[in-house]
Amino acid sequence: MKLVIDESRCKGCNLCVLVCPYGIFQEGTELNSRGIVTPVLDRPERCTNCRLQALYGRMLCGVCHIICPDQAIAWVEEKPFEPHKVEVEF
Amino acid sequence: MIAPDWFREDRLPHIYCTGCGNGTVINCTLGAVEEMGWKREETVFVSGIGCSSRAPGYILTDSLHTTHGRALAFATGVKMARPDLNVVVFTGDGDLAAIGGNHFIHACRRNVDMTVVCMNNHIYGMTGGQGSPTTPPGAISTTTPYGASEPAFDLAELAVAAGANYVARWTSYHVKELTKAVAAGMQTPGLAFIEVRTQCPTNYGRHNKLRRVSDMIEHLRSHAMLVDKYNRLTAEGKPVPDGTFTVGELVRRNRPAMGVKS
Repeated sequence: MKLVIDESRCKGCNLCVLVCPYGIFQEGTELNSRGIVTPVLDRPERCTNCRLQALYGRMLCGVCHIICPDQAIAWVEEKPFEPHKVEVEF
Repeated sequence: MIAPDWFREDRLPHIYCTGCGNGTVINCTLGAVEEMGWKREETVFVSGIGCSSRAPGYILTDSLHTTHGRALAFATGVKMARPDLNVVVFTGDGDLAAIGGNHFIHACRRNVDMTVVCMNNHIYGMTGGQGSPTTPPGAISTTTPYGASEPAFDLAELAVAAGANYVARWTSYHVKELTKAVAAGMQTPGLAFIEVRTQCPTNYGRHNKLRRVSDMIEHLRSHAMLVDKYNRLTAEGKPVPDGTFTVGELVRRNRPAMGVKS
């Protein structure tokens, strides 16, 4: 599963930044095409729901999903072999 | 998105301002509805006038968008005519406490079997931030420019006194607890009243130094106190900090209810 923010719905209230226990959502800096600063995702693969939802068969944390007033946060199925951005720490 | 088959996706994004808590309350209510396993054709959402009352417009069921303050009167009518329907009322503080106050206490007294979710944002948000009966003392609004001088209405206590079967109060920050409270209210026969303190950064926060959404949420979170703690503090005679409100389940009882599905 993959965490996504629907840019067409997000109004940039940054409530998800406030509630995420992992700090995955970070306040954005750039305006999108609708003139709204949407949050950016910092290593979203750390999200427990991304990794373990299929294993447990239920929503695990999901606070951002419930608190989002614009219904913009969702988890979608990944396509097989989707390219990932990998950071190498030295 | 919670409960995707209950949302009118073509109507989204909704008209609420950035950071408005009403969207969160819709999420929690629909989460509870999904938990209850109700069918779409057996559920009716009723609302009055106000920001909060736009909520049924984003939900894919039959709904009534009624006159100002009369949501509970219409909902009582729906329940009396068709007791097999599940009735959920969305209303705001100006709708429920100000113009619909009498309907509210009499719906509580009659104990009509429905769930009332009141989104209390302490202000008349839609019309430009006029002071409502729940504006806390000292808060600045467009009609109370020197700070509200009157004491505020405590809607949950009012519902307890008027005789509702289930009364709870949460804030839009406590999403999991709120979902559980709405589900518990839906399971209880008789009137279930859930007051939700929500943030209104545009019209309440802007005048009260809580302009950012996070400030407003932090204000709600820090002023909420669990009922048990409040009762313990008052029993021990310790001082309760100024401006706190109780959150949690205030009452759950079994008074005879009206319009219960047999």
